[in-house]
Amino acid sequence: MMPSTAVFGALVVGLVQVVLTLGVAPLLLGITKRVKARLQYRQGPPLLQPYRDLVKWWAKQPVESDAAGPLTGAAPAIVLAAVVVATLLVPIVGARPPLAGWGDLLVVVGLMALGRFVLALSALDAGSAFGGMGSSREVAIATLVEPALVLALTGAAVAAGSTDLGRIAALGVASGGAWYTPPLLLAAAAFAIVAVAETGHEPVDNPDTHLELTMIHEGMMLEASGPRLAILMYAAEVKLVLVAGLFAAVFLPVGIALDLTPISLLVAVAAALAKLIGVAVILGVLDASLAKLRILALPGLLATASIVAAVGLATRLWLPA
Amino acid sequence: MSFAAVMGGAGVPLLATIGALLAGSALAALAPRSRLNPRALSISLAGMACVALVVLGASLIASGSPVVASLGGVLGFALIHVRYDPLGGLFLVALGVAGLASSVFAVGYTSHDGAGVDRTAAAYPVFLASLALVFGADDAFAFLLAWELMALSSALLVIGRRPSAEVARAGYLYLVLTHLATAALIVAFAILASAAGSTSFGAFGRAAASLSPAGRDSVFVLLLVGFATKAGAIPLHVWLPRAHPVAPSHVSALMSGVMIKAGIYGIVRFGLEILGPGPEWWGLLVLGIGAASAVLGVLYALMEHDLKRLLAFHSIENIGIILIGVGIALLASADGVTALAALALTAALFHTLNHALFKSVLFLAAGSIQSAVGSRDLNALGGLARAMPVTALAFGIGAAAISGLPPLNGFASEWLTFQGLIGAGGEAGLSLVARSAALLAVAGLGLTAALAVACFVKATGMVFLGLPRSLRAAEARETATSMGVAMVGLAAACIGVGVAAGPVSGVIGGISRGMVGGTSPRAAVFEPVAGLDALYAAGPLAVVVLAVAGVVWIVGVRRRTVRRAPTWTCGNVPEAAFEYTATSYAKLIRLYYGPVLRPEREVSVELHPGTPFPRTVHYRGEVSHVIDERLYRPLHRSSVAAAQLVRRIQSGSLQAYLAYTVVALVVLLLVAR
Repeated sequence: MMPSTAVFGALVVGLVQVVLTLGVAPLLLGITKRVKARLQYRQGPPLLQPYRDLVKWWAKQPVESDAAGPLTGAAPAIVLAAVVVATLLVPIVGARPPLAGWGDLLVVVGLMALGRFVLALSALDAGSAFGGMGSSREVAIATLVEPALVLALTGAAVAAGSTDLGRIAALGVASGGAWYTPPLLLAAAAFAIVAVAETGHEPVDNPDTHLELTMIHEGMMLEASGPRLAILMYAAEVKLVLVAGLFAAVFLPVGIALDLTPISLLVAVAAALAKLIGVAVILGVLDASLAKLRILALPGLLATASIVAAVGLATRLWLPA
Repeated sequence: MSFAAVMGGAGVPLLATIGALLAGSALAALAPRSRLNPRALSISLAGMACVALVVLGASLIASGSPVVASLGGVLGFALIHVRYDPLGGLFLVALGVAGLASSVFAVGYTSHDGAGVDRTAAAYPVFLASLALVFGADDAFAFLLAWELMALSSALLVIGRRPSAEVARAGYLYLVLTHLATAALIVAFAILASAAGSTSFGAFGRAAASLSPAGRDSVFVLLLVGFATKAGAIPLHVWLPRAHPVAPSHVSALMSGVMIKAGIYGIVRFGLEILGPGPEWWGLLVLGIGAASAVLGVLYALMEHDLKRLLAFHSIENIGIILIGVGIALLASADGVTALAALALTAALFHTLNHALFKSVLFLAAGSIQSAVGSRDLNALGGLARAMPVTALAFGIGAAAISGLPPLNGFASEWLTFQGLIGAGGEAGLSLVARSAALLAVAGLGLTAALAVACFVKATGMVFLGLPRSLRAAEARETATSMGVAMVGLAAACIGVGVAAGPVSGVIGGISRGMVGGTSPRAAVFEPVAGLDALYAAGPLAVVVLAVAGVVWIVGVRRRTVRRAPTWTCGNVPEAAFEYTATSYAKLIRLYYGPVLRPEREVSVELHPGTPFPRTVHYRGEVSHVIDERLYRPLHRSSVAAAQLVRRIQSGSLQAYLAYTVVALVVLLLVAR
């Protein structure tokens, strides 16, 4: 009897997470845009505008370059699948993510890389200069992001003795305030810096730009239209949930449900929503208050993240707690 | 010749069969032109031998008991002793699979050579045979014989029948460096043989324990120099990016896929088994070489726009990833943490097998492209996916696999390597220096993976997507069926091994535990759900990703009618000149990693007379290879200077030389008095 309850409970938590993360993703973009607009003394689009955009694009007929091959059609589907499956591995509501035990933080990073590979490749399919621009920038910046990302997550993995995100989150919740050691905070700082780059916000990328020459992520999907644009936009929105959820699971696990009582589940949903909305607000503030860095100045910012993460690991090893 | 079986049921007959097939293959290649088509006969026999190699390797791994044989008994002495164990079996499987694919590919690829005119083709079966012998040689004599045959036969294949100046130079450099490596091995073997009183590896293992620590260390360093040169690890890699691109592509595939792994085999066999476990710094040294090779290898690959040179630099990168695993295994076994050692060794051996698969498919695809277009220059290719869908699909899968993307095989072994590194970082049984080095290598491996993604987006995009950048690329046609079969077979193996990563790594884990001990199934820092898979849920994840992507594709892409239109190029007619080139694609990375790459550029603009409008613009850019510049150039310069000094006593007169001889004799007599 116990196992069936546990299985049922896990199913409920998993379902709640799926609905929450996939449903709330466009809203976060709406919040970010709204915050940015208000800080710039503009009215800004309605909070639900991203949903309306998706519906609008979904109904339109796609236009495809006559230089493009089958990759152009397949890429949006693979990009979305990779990022959606990655979110299913991250404990956002309960300490057991929907696909608990299927993969660890390295698999999440790997799936993110898969999405990037396919999107960057498809940007070259139409033979447009702007696609090449966005694609080459994306992969180059990713080389600065990934070491810091992996190193920051490694810090938490060493602390927990496991790369299992569920186990890391559970340990984080269980140890309460003792989880937030100086090494962990350094890793969190490093992760926060690269998270901005990974989700394409200021000062690395401007998600609202309409100038092709400055685009990174937008440049890669410039050729996409109709449902394909909707899929890629939605994938970018889910990716924000993924990155924010990953940050929260590892560096701010407070509130994540360890058991399956309705109360703790309710608390967990509220905490997850609060964290996601918090991230969206912070990104809006960043977008409004920071100018974009010159692309050649990015190594300075992003290498700092790697160094901070390395310092975090060094303090963990060399300074006895 | 006589065969003496000591153990193993079908092992010895299989060995004999392989030898006979390869001998037949070599003879066929030397046969005069006839109606039999010696070329095809030779290749077919070689392919059959490869099938037998896979069978032999798999049976060795499955049975776990070694096959021992002695060959060439003359006057009561056996010249060659072989002992194939599961470790050798794994390398035999890699050799057999890559060799079979290369042989099938060669049927179509070498058909333009005509029937039976190229006698250098006889080196191909010799190359296969020598590799098979390296992975089983059980005494120093047999090992060096096989090693030397492997070097000479591959050099012959690189240089070919009528070498151009560039090819001859590359072949020469390869010969010189491979012999420096052999010299280091001979010295190390001589030290061991004098301590053991025998040349057999078994005796070496017993003698190593009695050597002084300094003696054992120097033997290890000598062996490492020899094996790391063959593996193409930085800083001993200079021959590799020159020799691999100029060889015929099926030979490049074997050299990159299997031959350089002979160096890995040597380091594992000697470092962990015959000499080991050694002190911790052996592992640190190998880990450092591995990390440097991985990062620098992929960085230089990104700067290349010759497809095969790019792939050759990626071999250096992947050897680096393998050496990271070997380094952790050495560290862990030095400190007695056998479970971690087994995990790291499994990662290294798994990546060895995976690299044999995906690097072979990439080199074969490069060969297919070269024979279709006549160029390996990325800036002259483009848009080939339409004309060459089979090659494009195979290359794309190989590219995703080498970039370490799930659900392909490259990700599985990189995942295991990461597990080894993070496990080492948290392992209290290791020294703090070792743990810090392991965690630093995590950043290095992360950087390598991201750079590999960048490089293979560049390579795949420049070759297959967009508009063709030359007339010949626009007119390219798909190549012969046999070439397609070989490429698709290997690509399917990349997917299959990736999806079945758990069972495959379980088998390799058995080999590792046999070498370094360790009892637990596999101590990793991730415990997957029981029953799904031994690593992570490789298969189920692949199914879920594919299912989600399939649903999205059907409802969002397939069911929609598409309007096609020219790519928007701001009002101009789309042409290839608007596209990013391989050089411009890598520009940002060139600038980001400028302190290492030291890029130089030279732009000259010629104007239309009397106007400010350019008529022609010339761009020349290159990066400096820091090891070549800082290590080999000074070495070369000082050896030339030393030669100049010695030249002063070279008068050319016989009397002077006789006087030198007398003086030398007198000095010797005085010294040795």
